[in-house]
Amino acid sequence: MTGATAAVIGVLDDVAVERAKTGDLDALERVYRSYEGLVYTMARRICRSEEDAEDVLQETFLEVCRSIRGLRGTGPGSLTAWVKRIAASKALMRVRREKYRDADEFVEDGGASATKPPDLGLQLDLETALLRLPETSRAVVWLHDVEGYTHEDIAEMMGKTVSFSKSQLARAHTRLRGWLGGES
Amino acid sequence: MRKHCTMAELLAVRDGQGNAWAQAHADECPYCRHELDLIYRRVSALRALQAYRPPRDRWDVIREQARRERRGRTIRRWGWNSLAAAAGIALLIGIRSIPGTAAGEQQTAELQDLMAQSRTLEAALHSYDPNSRVLNGRAAGIIADLEDRIAVVDAGIAQVDRERAPNTELVNLWRNRVDLMDALVNVHVTRANYVGF
Repeated sequence: MTGATAAVIGVLDDVAVERAKTGDLDALERVYRSYEGLVYTMARRICRSEEDAEDVLQETFLEVCRSIRGLRGTGPGSLTAWVKRIAASKALMRVRREKYRDADEFVEDGGASATKPPDLGLQLDLETALLRLPETSRAVVWLHDVEGYTHEDIAEMMGKTVSFSKSQLARAHTRLRGWLGGES
Repeated sequence: MRKHCTMAELLAVRDGQGNAWAQAHADECPYCRHELDLIYRRVSALRALQAYRPPRDRWDVIREQARRERRGRTIRRWGWNSLAAAAGIALLIGIRSIPGTAAGEQQTAELQDLMAQSRTLEAALHSYDPNSRVLNGRAAGIIADLEDRIAVVDAGIAQVDRERAPNTELVNLWRNRVDLMDALVNVHVTRANYVGF
């Protein structure tokens, strides 16, 4: 569990979640306030731009408002997993949409940015290196290594195979390894 | 003979899913152990990256759209049942109240025409799937206002139906409804074109 998730669980209790499930807008605002950072951070890490991440944030919480009645369980833990899952799906949907718009952006082995070798002798910091990854690889590395989704989860959300998710993760790490060097 | 683990094999070892060879090799090979250690450190560093805060507060827009969707659902639930009944009865009233006159026939025809236009606009609105779109605050406000006005007109139509009021008032209400529906569809069409969907 990340520090941010633990902080959310500290703020929302079962009663607040139960109220939100009735559609109470004040309670839903508490849910929004508790999770906006978590959702926006995930969206920023996966999406191409700040604007896309903001749209993912908005789409995620609209979906939360629409569907929270159907949420099973009232514990903040199940709410967290549910909200994160919605956010991940919305972010991946946006990545897919962007890919269709820039049809040549992502060919099997990465996008335009991936074809550019890093300057010799230049060691990138992790933040920059992450941004250089093709969106799909970046999404997989973030969802698997940071958010804790399994390859099966990611494959399902992306509409791809488990092998695809695994190979994207390996490619992402190979690139990061090359760009970051010994990471000492 | 293979020398070292691939990145995919190292990641599988890290996830507890490595094959026997990779697992054993990673245990005894200093190079692969080092690479595995780098993976752990890289992932720790990824998890430690700064969290972002959204640059703008989106709650007002989300709340407004959530309210709009609820109103829309309520209007559809209430509206389609009562409006359909009202429309049927209104036609009967229209036909009976001024039987055989040219003015009565004209009003009835106009009423039927307006109802048909209203249905067409409802279908057009439905085809834009407005509930699934992201709106800015201004567009959401305009749409909420138009939907409120349509709800008032719908209530008026139901009221006129209950009171068996004169046909002219009913025609005016339906005309008003068509104008408002037309404006609502235009807002959605403009918005859809603007975002390029």
